[in-house]
Amino acid sequence: MFFKKTLSTNKQEKEKSKDADNIIPTNRERMSLEFRRRLQNSADIVETEVPGTGITLFYFHTLIDMNLLHKDIIEQIKNQSFHSIENIMGQLSVGIMDKTNQMDKVIQSAIGGHVIIHLEGADKVIYARIASNTGRALSNAINESQVIGPQIAFNESLSTNLSLIRKYIADPNLSIEDIRVGKRTTTAVSLIHIHGIANQQMVDILRDRIKKINMDGLIDSSVLVQLIEDNSLSIFPQMVLTERPDRICSWLLMGKLVVMVDGSPQAIACPQSFLEYFQSMEDKNVNWQVATFLRLLRIFALFLSVYFTAIYVASLTFHYEVIPQTLLIPLSESRARVPFPPIMEALIMEFFIELLREAAARLPTKVGQSMGIVGGIVIGTAAVDAGFTSNILIIIVALGALASFTTPNYSMGNIVRVLRFPIIVLAGFWGFYGIMFGFCFILIHLLRQSSLGTPFLTPFYPPRLADWKNSIIRLPLTFTAKRPNQTRPEDVDKYNPSVAKEKE
Amino acid sequence: MDIQYQPKPQLLLSTFLVFFIIHDIQVGVGIQGFQRIIFLEAKQDAWISVILSGILTHMIVFIMIKTLQYYGSSDIYGIHHDIYGKWIGRMMNCLYIFYCLVTSLVILKNYIEVIQTWMFPQVPTWFLSISLLLLVVYGVTGGIRVIVGVSFFNIVLSMWMLGLIGYPIRYSDYTHFLPILESNIPAILKGTFKMTFTVIGFEILYVIYPHLKEKNKVQKFAHLAIAITTILYLLLMLLAIAYFSSGQLEKSIWVTLSLFKIVKLPFIERMEYIAIAFWMLIIIPNIMLYLWAAVRGMNRTFNINESNFIWIFSLILFISSLFLNTRMKINTFNDKFALAAFYLVYCYPIILFVFVLIKKKIKGFKEKQI
Repeated sequence: MFFKKTLSTNKQEKEKSKDADNIIPTNRERMSLEFRRRLQNSADIVETEVPGTGITLFYFHTLIDMNLLHKDIIEQIKNQSFHSIENIMGQLSVGIMDKTNQMDKVIQSAIGGHVIIHLEGADKVIYARIASNTGRALSNAINESQVIGPQIAFNESLSTNLSLIRKYIADPNLSIEDIRVGKRTTTAVSLIHIHGIANQQMVDILRDRIKKINMDGLIDSSVLVQLIEDNSLSIFPQMVLTERPDRICSWLLMGKLVVMVDGSPQAIACPQSFLEYFQSMEDKNVNWQVATFLRLLRIFALFLSVYFTAIYVASLTFHYEVIPQTLLIPLSESRARVPFPPIMEALIMEFFIELLREAAARLPTKVGQSMGIVGGIVIGTAAVDAGFTSNILIIIVALGALASFTTPNYSMGNIVRVLRFPIIVLAGFWGFYGIMFGFCFILIHLLRQSSLGTPFLTPFYPPRLADWKNSIIRLPLTFTAKRPNQTRPEDVDKYNPSVAKEKE
Repeated sequence: MDIQYQPKPQLLLSTFLVFFIIHDIQVGVGIQGFQRIIFLEAKQDAWISVILSGILTHMIVFIMIKTLQYYGSSDIYGIHHDIYGKWIGRMMNCLYIFYCLVTSLVILKNYIEVIQTWMFPQVPTWFLSISLLLLVVYGVTGGIRVIVGVSFFNIVLSMWMLGLIGYPIRYSDYTHFLPILESNIPAILKGTFKMTFTVIGFEILYVIYPHLKEKNKVQKFAHLAIAITTILYLLLMLLAIAYFSSGQLEKSIWVTLSLFKIVKLPFIERMEYIAIAFWMLIIIPNIMLYLWAAVRGMNRTFNINESNFIWIFSLILFISSLFLNTRMKINTFNDKFALAAFYLVYCYPIILFVFVLIKKKIKGFKEKQI
């Protein structure tokens, strides 16, 4: 008992001394020493004495805006004498400032772009935010470009991105929540939803997932996705990344949740269904007939790019019978000089196309384009002439690659290309049976996935007939007046369709 | 063990999905060659047998759902426990679990036989068996929602096959039906009896019933599914009689697949290769549903963890699939299975219904006395 007591008093004393350490020194020299000690005596620490006032400014010259420092702080207080720091605060014309007597807080704000104002003899200091804005200006959406509709994209600054969203949705119910992630980087992560539309249960789940992350640093939102999605072992991402503010806003209005990371030009949206990866923002901007055509085209392209080469391999290896005689003659003619079995031939060509694509993606834009074209034509033609592959296979492989580029989402496009390889191998070993095995496996796999608790294959399964109107087809806007069941919205109606249709 | 079974809300299914479940599980391997078996009994009047079997099925399903409705939210395992008591109930449950496993085996084995006969004579049974069972296990471990999802997609995605029926119609000879009613009534009834192997599957209702959201709509969708299946079978039966001569029909084992043979498109011939491969999507959910029913039975009867038994049962299925290796063995096995299934699926529900009625009467009588 006694022992315990001494322990606890020891603890209290320790805390007391810790508190004492944390109090700001009133003396200038001691303050300077403490400040530098805690910040590892960095080279970019600057200590400026304002003449004739007894005031010293501490700051990182790399983090603050020097113009503001001179105009809003030094100009206002120089050659005056102050008795208390409240007097100084009255003189300054800085929007965000406060006072503190805690050293921890001082260090935190200095790192965050504040200037520390220390008055000789005062027991508190002022910290005022005059952070400099380094970063690029807003630019066009390059990765998800579209012809009709807004052209702007997010950039690396969180506050700029949030202001873009606020501009689109001037709704008091738009809720932006700040969460810090990363022990060392303390990156600002914003969880955004529209209160009253988004499902609160989902918001709670997502907030919980973000808060549970225990990592040293978070640099980009694409890393955050891998940490918070339902099943990170699956090849299919269950949350989507986009750089388009208009897309994010239309999703927010559907009742989805959005997560943005400071320093990342891409926002995360969820819940996401598999089908939505094959929808583009432009589908909403063109009329519904064209949108329906494009969506059906993309679904067709998906099947084409995953299965076409595999079907070629399977039918040439095992099932000659399924090819009609008229088609069999040109096929066998073009394959007459090829020394490899179809599976080798197909894998070589697919591998070759992937090499070209990857090389074109890594090289600078101008070089990359010419390399792609020249490499494709020269090596492709030469491969046929040398008897490496058949003409028909080149057509098929090129078609498959082309089809995979129609996927509007970059990461899903990659997945479509990767999926092709196991299917080709299955087809080469077990023919149509192998292809079907792959198909069934992917189907079951997709059925097992969920995005923030909602099924990944919605609206097809579980079947929600009302949501089929905006799935692989798109009906006119008057038909889609309700929010999708996928987000389980608290407010179902987007608008009243009968009023919206009324004309004078 | 509890007689009532109330699944978690996220495991409940929309009631109309029962349509997909029943239609899917009925249409399995039987459809590939049921025509010959019926034709051998009832000759050109085989289509009457199909209609009769459809009507009979409707009656049985009606009785089954009535039985289930007495209990609110329970399955056959709970009902057995209630009616027979602990020990006999357990025995009956084991019998039912065994039936589910045997059905899975029959489906698996028949499909493997089709693949080996039509596509890959050299590919060993163990490989096909393992690959199919791996898919099944992957689905069943995902739970009932995934299983029903596969059967839903199976029906949606295999609808194109119906379009292929148009081809044989062009070469049909309608005089094959004449004279109508040449066979006597016993022959037609025998044909109806032989339909058992093809139409069973709807007994899954006994297990899946607690998972359905709105119990009062089950009758509607279940009967719709039975009706659609019967119409499909009737169509295929009529087509087979009209297309094939009686001599041909008596000799071909997989009549439906033979019908696919004549489909000819500009870029594809011999459609049956694609159809057989595609059949995987049709039989996989069937095996999944039966395996799931068996595993659920183990869980309900003995309170054992489900996930272990998925693997154990799959292993049992795999080993037993190796022993059924010749056409003769499979055929006798199918026949014996069909006979057992007739008693279990068509006769037993009536007996169970009577027992439930008596039990409820006695209970009501006792309550009145008190």
